[in-house]
Amino acid sequence: MSVLVFSLIHLVRGDPIRLALGTRFSQETYDALRERSGLDLPLVQQYVTWAGRAVTGDLGVSFRSGDTVTSLIAERLPATLTLAVAALLVALVIALPLGMLSALHPRSFVDRLATVVSQFGISVPDFWLSIMLILVFAGTLGVLPSGGYVALTEDPLGWLQRLVLPAVATGVVSGSVITRFVRSSMLEALGSDHVRTAQAKGVPTRQVLTWHVLRNALLPLVTVTGVQLAYLLSGVVVVEIVFSWPGLGQLAYQAVRDRDFPVLQGAVLLFALVFLVINLLVDLLYSRIDPRIARR
Amino acid sequence: MTAPVLEVEDLRVDLRTPRGTAHVVNGLSYTVGAGETVAVVGESGSGKSVSVLALLGLLPARTATVTGRALLDGEDLLTMSPERLRQVRGPGVGMVFQDPMTSLNPVLTVGRQLTEGLRAHGSLSKAAARARAVELLGEVGLPDPGRAVDRYPHELSGGMRQRVVIAIALSNSPSLLIADEATTALDVTVQAQILDLVEGLQTEHGTGVVWITHDLGVVAGIADRVLVMYGGRCVEDGTVDDVLERPVHPYTRGLLGALPDLATDDEADLATIPGTPPPPTDLPAGCVFWPRCPVRGDARCETEQPPLAVVAAGTGGLPHRAATWCAEGEAS
Repeated sequence: MSVLVFSLIHLVRGDPIRLALGTRFSQETYDALRERSGLDLPLVQQYVTWAGRAVTGDLGVSFRSGDTVTSLIAERLPATLTLAVAALLVALVIALPLGMLSALHPRSFVDRLATVVSQFGISVPDFWLSIMLILVFAGTLGVLPSGGYVALTEDPLGWLQRLVLPAVATGVVSGSVITRFVRSSMLEALGSDHVRTAQAKGVPTRQVLTWHVLRNALLPLVTVTGVQLAYLLSGVVVVEIVFSWPGLGQLAYQAVRDRDFPVLQGAVLLFALVFLVINLLVDLLYSRIDPRIARR
Repeated sequence: MTAPVLEVEDLRVDLRTPRGTAHVVNGLSYTVGAGETVAVVGESGSGKSVSVLALLGLLPARTATVTGRALLDGEDLLTMSPERLRQVRGPGVGMVFQDPMTSLNPVLTVGRQLTEGLRAHGSLSKAAARARAVELLGEVGLPDPGRAVDRYPHELSGGMRQRVVIAIALSNSPSLLIADEATTALDVTVQAQILDLVEGLQTEHGTGVVWITHDLGVVAGIADRVLVMYGGRCVEDGTVDDVLERPVHPYTRGLLGALPDLATDDEADLATIPGTPPPPTDLPAGCVFWPRCPVRGDARCETEQPPLAVVAAGTGGLPHRAATWCAEGEAS
């Protein structure tokens, strides 16, 4: 994994030293800096050095600012976490009722509406949605700020106001994907034999829905929600830029622009780690809700 | 025979399908007395399962149209309110389904699935319901019911699961038990145990039983009366002796002829009925069996539907009836 990250980044064209030095510099300065950053060494050796430090938590120093990569990431992490959790909430608030309603009334008006809405959400690019939201709510209506970030501890209201638009922009996309899953897994559970058994027992409908339909539909849902959360934690680069949201996505974008290899490597490695950890959590959660997995 | 538990009259079920309306059950009438076992036999697709699912309102309401009457202890199942129907499911009618591997909820314990049914129809406390669940599991012959109650379905074998399903169906002492291919998925020894179990419980509680199967061996073992279904209609009914020993309808004879006989001639090919049942979207105008019938002994076979008529006085005071124009030749 880390090999892949490392090699891909070094395939990127452009010389970080040249970029860092600007237009006028002497060959001596260039060589000196190149040697100091270790960029003159063979790639394999660069990788071994980097990986060796990375496992101890030392991700190197930014070419651009001279700060350590770990401190840069730690600084950006709260903003990204906030946005990801808020977006996931938005996604679930959209997806759960909409998916359930359409599964309970297939081919009804609600179902068709949900299909159209989720198709829209899946197909629309998030940057376009972000810009539209800014135009309407920050521009025309002027009710919400167009971007930026303040810490919750400094200004709770301002925090919330600035969170709403980016959270909706990213949440709608995830929500659309999850809606599809809620619908299909609910439909599958509804049609299963054990639901018929429960009905034949004379159990009240509500109880059939919660304990027999929802409880079983939950299994695939946990998986897709985990994947969406991982995506939200790592994939919201464009939305963070549009809303000037100082998160990891923005950090990664700036690092690409500046050919700031250590920062980019650190960020991508973290994204990969997020996927691994969330998948592990999903598996652990699975064993909590599905007894067939727990006992094995 | 005492007053019937179940009286089905002219039951018809139409299902809307993409290929048109399927006439799955077409005027089915039968009664089940207390303590009596009626076997419903026929090929796959003859409407057996649909006809009983319709009784309990378990068909998808969006696509199914059910007409006729189905009196359970004098109350019509087909016209009662959804809430009343819910109350009847369980204490009125218990149902056992075909596949024990899928008819239990995989994420709930066996005990939970039993107590749920018990508590839906009574004011049992949690502890009392659990105690009753253990008792029921013991009654259906589950070893160590005190521990089995906390097991999940995947921890039990197919036969054990089917016992659990039967325990669920019997938990509210229903006046009628419907078993839809309840032993088809089980191996023969387990099947025999389950049949014994149901017979025992039936004599104990006086439950009426509708046993749906395509296994004529099971019919001979368990049933008092037999109803042969084909193309959504009853083509022949009577006591087990009458129908199995002296079949009248060409279809019933075909079914019995298709039974492999272990005692004789194991070199001979298995006799079969050529062709397949008519699609329920496109039933023949005359006798439903006409397209596959080897007899076709009457001019009306192709054009006119034969009524279900008495063909012999029958044994045990019950008439032996068949829907065929070709009964004149009398049973061979």
